[in-house]
Parts: sequence; structure tokens; C-alpha cells
Amino acid sequence: MDGGLINRGAQEAERTAGARIEPGRSYGFFTDTTLCIGCKACEVACKEWNGLPADGDMRLSGHSYDNTGALGAETWRHVGFVERLDDRPGEMKPFQSNWIMFSDVCKHCDPAPCLEACPTGALFRTEFDTVVVQQDICNGCAYCVPACPFGVVEVSKADGKAHKCTLCHDRMKGGMEPACAKACPTDSIQFGALEDLIPRAHQRVEHLHEMGQDRAYLYGAPGTPGATHGIKKLNAFFLLTERPEVHGLPSEPVRPAPRAQPSLLAGLGTLAGLAAAALVFGLGSRR
Amino acid sequence: MNAMAPVPLPEPWQGETYHGRPTLKPAEFDWKVATYIAVQGVAGAAQLLAGISRTEDPEDRDGLASRARALAFAGSIIAPAILIGHLKTPKRWYNMLRIVRPQSPMSWGSWVLTAFGAASFAAWGAERMGWRRAADLAQIPASLAGAGAASYTATLLSTTSNPLWAAARAPLAAQFAASSMAGGAAAMALLQRSAGKVESARRLERLSAAALGAETAASMMLSDAQRRAGVSAPLKKGPPALLHKAGAQALGIAAPLVLRALGRPALASAAILIGSALLRQAVLRAGDESAKRPLDSLGFAREVRR
Repeated sequence: MDGGLINRGAQEAERTAGARIEPGRSYGFFTDTTLCIGCKACEVACKEWNGLPADGDMRLSGHSYDNTGALGAETWRHVGFVERLDDRPGEMKPFQSNWIMFSDVCKHCDPAPCLEACPTGALFRTEFDTVVVQQDICNGCAYCVPACPFGVVEVSKADGKAHKCTLCHDRMKGGMEPACAKACPTDSIQFGALEDLIPRAHQRVEHLHEMGQDRAYLYGAPGTPGATHGIKKLNAFFLLTERPEVHGLPSEPVRPAPRAQPSLLAGLGTLAGLAAAALVFGLGSRR
Repeated sequence: MNAMAPVPLPEPWQGETYHGRPTLKPAEFDWKVATYIAVQGVAGAAQLLAGISRTEDPEDRDGLASRARALAFAGSIIAPAILIGHLKTPKRWYNMLRIVRPQSPMSWGSWVLTAFGAASFAAWGAERMGWRRAADLAQIPASLAGAGAASYTATLLSTTSNPLWAAARAPLAAQFAASSMAGGAAAMALLQRSAGKVESARRLERLSAAALGAETAASMMLSDAQRRAGVSAPLKKGPPALLHKAGAQALGIAAPLVLRALGRPALASAAILIGSALLRQAVLRAGDESAKRPLDSLGFAREVRR
């Protein structure tokens, strides 16, 4: 009853993340922006483990130290950099020299708009409560792309399939924590079972409030901003000190699926009205 | 834990974005998708007209039902072929029929297309074989699936996170459905005219004019809703806006009325058909622009109506 786990005994994740990986439980990331130092080890570890090519044309973006740009088919971790130049000097806030770093990732939403949009079943919810694209099924219809409220999933120009973070499904199968979390030197990215991660994150917020960082809040944990309008939780959730928009995150993401019914009724109603007019006035010659 | 009220954010949003970068990805549905939506709309509406014609004229003396069935069947073959062409891995098109997912308009839409193709083939084929009863029996599912095929494409766009498409789901659906009916009636009017059935063609032309009226009303409601949601910019300025104004509105709605007044009904019908396709292309391109505008997407996700 081990769900095909290779490592039946002691798992590496127990030593590196303090988390035992068992099918049937919910796993995710708790990414704490107050601990991020912008080293991009997560980006590199992700690319190395998942065999993803380098980003772009090696030019500088001019957007602080962010030359990665955005999450995409070949970029599953993305470190954002925001410089609060206007806060200096004199009233420098106590964290990170007013330089806010944020490692973004697929949120593995519950329920997941991309998964609900997928017509082939390529996108599925795994035994670890994460969301993964099955590459042997995806036919590149691209409907998951506009469905995602976070602009994460993308169809690769190289192979015509949708790609995004798998929360290292293959590593988890082997009892290992995802590559980005393992590589993170400050534990800004923490991997674990959500039942452990969520209380730990709430404690971290309280601790920061006690230390004077009263702007800290969770984004995507149940009952917090980010878990709104039909999205119950983000399995990859965040601790932020700025408004979500500063990091390019929507303050109230919405699950799109409930929009279908009113739309369909309006379309069919319009056709029914015009068909009724055609019936009344006739389409054929009068005899 | 779910019962907790959302924690208030630090301060009101002042319009900050992350370096002005987009927060969403454009769908990049290309011209094939726009053409598909237009062809599917014409075919679906034609099947509705075939059903109406059968109840009105059981002998089919005008040949309207017969021609509409042929047009709908042709469309039910051509449209999915175009749609498969837009897939980035087209050889796996059949995976669309691997599951049924009620939450996904792309999934149940694929099944509606399949049903539409099968019923359209049955209605057309039975009539060709001289089995009128069977053809009329197949007409019922064919017309119903036709209505679905002619209107679900707007639902497909609205059931996403794209601000422009999601802001006004009901008016967009009404606009697409009315455009489908205008195109279907215009196409049938062309066929009836070329067959010498002038009176039937005139009535179809009147129906397409009524549909254009409904489309105009829906368009006005649509742009009002998009303006209130703060997402209307891509249809105000830039290439998609130009395509929308010149293609969908001037060529697709205004020109047909003028051409009809000038006594050129066939040209008017052709303009309606082209305008119907350009409307869809303009909406797709404007949607891609919308996704690239962080103020639109972030503002929409904040102000969203449930």
C-alpha cells in the first residue's frame, strides 16, 4: 500500500524537509518572501532537475535583478525583485533593505482552473494533491493557458505541449523533496504536508508581527487573500509583506468554471429568440 | 479553516504592478480558431433553419431544408478539421474524446461537435437516400446540437481568466449567437438566390438583418460591461480595435444594410459572412491584448463580480 513509492524505508525528504511523503496526503510549498535573498538557487535547481533549457537571449531586462521575466513552459520557478527606492534613506524598514525578493511558482490551486479547463485529462490531480500535465496525453489545445488566473501554464513552442511545475512529482515518488525547496539556502521555500505547513506559516506571521513586521500576511492559505471566489486554497502559498499586485499576483483570483452557465444560457436564449422570429415570419415562399 | 474571513490586505491597491509585466498569458488562438468559430456558427445556424423550414414547409418545395442540411453537414466536417489544425499537437486530436469534463467548455464543446457532425450526417444522408422520416427524426438532435455548436464558442472564451472575455459573459454569448444566426441566414440566402428561390432568399435576408440588429444590441451591452469592468481598452485603440470597427461593425453590419438598400442583396450576404469571421478574429486578438495589460487583469481580479 505504498502507491508505487520506490523508497519504502527512510526517505531523504524526512532528513532534508522533515516531511514524510505518502500518497493520499496534500503537499505543497510555503514560500516566505521575508527570507528570500534572491540567490535564484531555486531557479537553477529546477532547471537542472527537470532538464529545462535556459531562459531567453541572455540580455538584461532592466527590471532590477530579474532577468528571468516570468513563469512559462521552460521556467517553473521565477524570482522577482522589487526595489523600494522611495523608502530610503532614514526610514529604512527592518527587513531586506527595502529590497523584496519573491520566488514565484505554480500554485497547484484547489480546485485548479487549468485542470478544470483541460479537455483531454492530461492535467490531473496527483496522489500528492498536486496538479501535473501528463505529457503523453496533452494535445496542445492551449485552453489551460487563458484558464490560469496566474499566467503560469504555457504551451511550449518546442514540442507543442503544455508545461508547468510538477512539484517534482518524480522526486516525490522517490521520497525526495522538490529540487527548489531542497536547494533554497534560507528555507524561504519550505516543502511539506499542508497540515504541517499551514500552521507553521500562521506561526511565522505571528512571529513577524511580534518582531515589528506588522504587514506580513499569508496569500493562498485557506481563508486568506489568494484563496478566493471558488479557489479554496493554493497548495503553493506565500508569506507576503506587500500587496499581491506588487508581485504580479491578483488580489482576488477567481475560479472561471461558474461563468459557463450564464454564458451558455444567454447564447442559447438569443438563438431561441431569433429562431422563434424565423418561425413566426417564415422562411419559405408564400403559396 | 475555510470559515475564516479573508485577512485584509496591507493597504488599498494604488495601481502597482510588477515592473509593468503581464500577469496573464495570452491564449494565442490564431486565425484558424476565428475561422472555425465563424464556420461552426454558420453550420449550426443552418441546421436550426433546416428544422424551422421542415415544420413550415413539410414538402420542402423551396428546397431550403435540403440545402441547409447539406451546408450544415459540410460545415460539420470542415469546422472540426480547421480546429484540429490549430492544435499544437494535432495528431493527438482524438484525446479530446478521452474524457467528459462538465466544467470545461472545451471538453463538452468537443462532444457537442461530435454529436452535431453525427446528426448532421444522419439528416443529410437519410434525405439523400429518400428516407424522409429518418431525416426528420435526425433533424431534432441535429438542430439542438447546431444551437449548441453555434453558441458555445463564446462560453469557451468567457470561462477563462481573460479579463476582456470574462468581464461580460452574457452579452458576449448573445453577440456570438446573433452573429452565427446572421451568418447562417446570409449563407442560406445566397444559396436560395442562386437556386432562383427569390422569395425564400428575401425572408432569409430579413432574418439576417434582424440577427444583425440583435448583434448590435448585444455589442452595445458588451462594450458597456467591458467599460465598467475597466477592460475595454483593447477594443478602443490598436489593431484589434481597428479590425473590430472596420471588419465586424463597418463591413459586417453597416455595409450589408447599405448594399441591401442599393439592391445588391448577394453582396450584402457575403459581407455579413466575412464580418462574422472578422468579429471573432477581432475578439480573439483583443483578448490577447487584454491578457498583456497588467492593470486590466489585476484590476479585474480585484473588482470582479461574482
